[in-house]
Amino acid sequence: MSPDLTAATEPVGTSGATDVVGPNEVATPSVVFDVRELAVYYGEFRAVRDVDLEVHQHEITAFIGPSGCGKSTVLRCFDRMNDLIEGARVDGRILYHGVDLYDPRIDPVEVRKRIGMVFQKPNPFPKSIYDNVAFGPRLAGRKKDLDDTVERALRRAALWDEVKDRLGRSAMGLSGGQQQRLCIARAIAVEPEVILMDEPCSALDPIATARIEDLMQELKVDYTILIVTHNMQQAARVSDRTAFFTTEVNSESDTRTGVLVEYDKTDKMFSAPSDERTENYITGRFG
Amino acid sequence: MRQHYTDELEQLALQVELMGVLVDENVERMQTVLETGDLTSAEAAIACDDRIDDMNVSLMERCYELLRREAPVAADLRLVVSVLRVTAELERIGDLSLRIAKLAPEHHLLVASPAAFGILGAMADHAVMQYREALRAWSTFDLAIAERVAAEPPVPLAGRTLIEALLDYEGHDAVMVSLRTMVAGQALDRIADHAAVLGARIRYLITGDPDHLAAEVR
Repeated sequence: MSPDLTAATEPVGTSGATDVVGPNEVATPSVVFDVRELAVYYGEFRAVRDVDLEVHQHEITAFIGPSGCGKSTVLRCFDRMNDLIEGARVDGRILYHGVDLYDPRIDPVEVRKRIGMVFQKPNPFPKSIYDNVAFGPRLAGRKKDLDDTVERALRRAALWDEVKDRLGRSAMGLSGGQQQRLCIARAIAVEPEVILMDEPCSALDPIATARIEDLMQELKVDYTILIVTHNMQQAARVSDRTAFFTTEVNSESDTRTGVLVEYDKTDKMFSAPSDERTENYITGRFG
Repeated sequence: MRQHYTDELEQLALQVELMGVLVDENVERMQTVLETGDLTSAEAAIACDDRIDDMNVSLMERCYELLRREAPVAADLRLVVSVLRVTAELERIGDLSLRIAKLAPEHHLLVASPAAFGILGAMADHAVMQYREALRAWSTFDLAIAERVAAEPPVPLAGRTLIEALLDYEGHDAVMVSLRTMVAGQALDRIADHAAVLGARIRYLITGDPDHLAAEVR
C-alpha cells in the first residue's frame, strides 16, 4: 500500500511514490513507518540525531527516555508537526508505507488526516461534545452520516455510554479522563491509520489512566499507535515495542542532542536490554 | 541512585548464598551419614533443615515485597524471579539430603551390599560436587561455571548398576537392603539433577537469553 499524500492539485500516485523510495526499498507490508537516519534541527541546534527504527502495523510503539532526549520531537516528525515550528528542519527520512513524508510533493494536511495526534493535556475545543468529534469530518467536507460518524468514534473511544445523553453540552464539563477520551474520539473520527500520543495520561489519575491504557489495547486492533511516555511501567504494560532515547552532551557547544539508544520488543527491553544505558535507565540507576 | 534498593538486591543475593551454605552443611552431613551412619550428624541435619525452611520463607517474603514496592525490571527483575526459583531448588536439595540423613538408624542396611554401597558413594561424590559447583556459580555469577553445571549429565548408568548390585545381593535382609539403598540412590540422583537445574537458572539470570529460559524446560 502506497498512500497518496500529495496535494489534490498535484497528483503523483503510486508510481511517483515508488520513485521517491527507489526500486530496492520496498517496505514489508507490516511496516508502517521506516525511519532512517532521522535528525531534527532547531536552527543550528541539533535536537536529535541518528534515529533508525521501524514501526509495525497494529502495534503500540512506546518512546521512553529522560527529559530532553528528543522523544517528543521524534514523535512530532511522524505527522510533520515540527513544520509548524519556525527554524525546525528534518534530515533523513521517514517512509510511510514506503512514501517519504518529507518529500516536497507531500501535503502535510493530508499527512495529518492519516496520522492523528493526542496531546499530553486534554485539549477539547470549547464547543459541544458533538462538535468536537464532528470537527475533523466537517473540515474534510463530510456532511452525510455525521451522527453515525460521531457515535462510532465515541464508541471506539469508550466514551459513548457516558455522554450519549449530553452530546450538545460543552466538552469542558467533562472530567480530565473523559476529555482525553474525547480527544481520542476526535482523532479517530477522521479515520486515520496511525494515532500519535504524547504522554496522554500524564495529567490523569490512575483510574482514568487505566481506562486509556485499556482503550489503547482495543484501538490497536484497527490502528497503529505511537506513544511517548514518562511512565516506564506504562510502556512495559501497554507497548509491543519500546524505543529508548537518551541525551548526549556535546562538550564543545555545551548543548544536548537526543539519540536513540535501543529499540526492541518491549518484553526484551524490560527483561534483558542489550545496552547498558537502557538497563541503567529502566532500573532507575540512570546517571 | 536508588541506593537503598540496590543495597537490598545485593543483600538478597547474599542471603540466597547463605541459604546455599546452610544447604551445603546438610549435604555434607548427608555424606557423613551415608559413610558412617553417624546419628549426631543426622540430628543436626534435621535441626538445620528447619532453618533452611525458615530462610526459604523469609526470602520469598522479601521477593514479594520487592516486586510489590519496586516493580523491578531487566537484570533486577531476573534476579528477583531467579531468587524465587533458585531458593525452591535449594530447599528441595535440602529435603533430599535430609531423606538420606534420616536413614542413619538403618545404616547397616546401606552397607550390607559392598558393591551397592560403593556405587552410592560414587553417586554421593558426584552429587556433592555438582551442588558445590552450582553454589559457586551463584556466588560468583560466573557464566562458565553455570553452563558447566547445567550441561553435566546425570550419571546415566548409576541407577542401573545400583539395581544390578542389589540383585546380586543374596542376604536374608535383601528386600530391606534394596528398599533403603534405592531411597538413597534416587535421592542422590535427584540432588545432582536439581544442581544442574540450578546451573540452568543461574545461566538465564546472567544472560537474559530467552533461549536459555526455554532450555530450562527439559
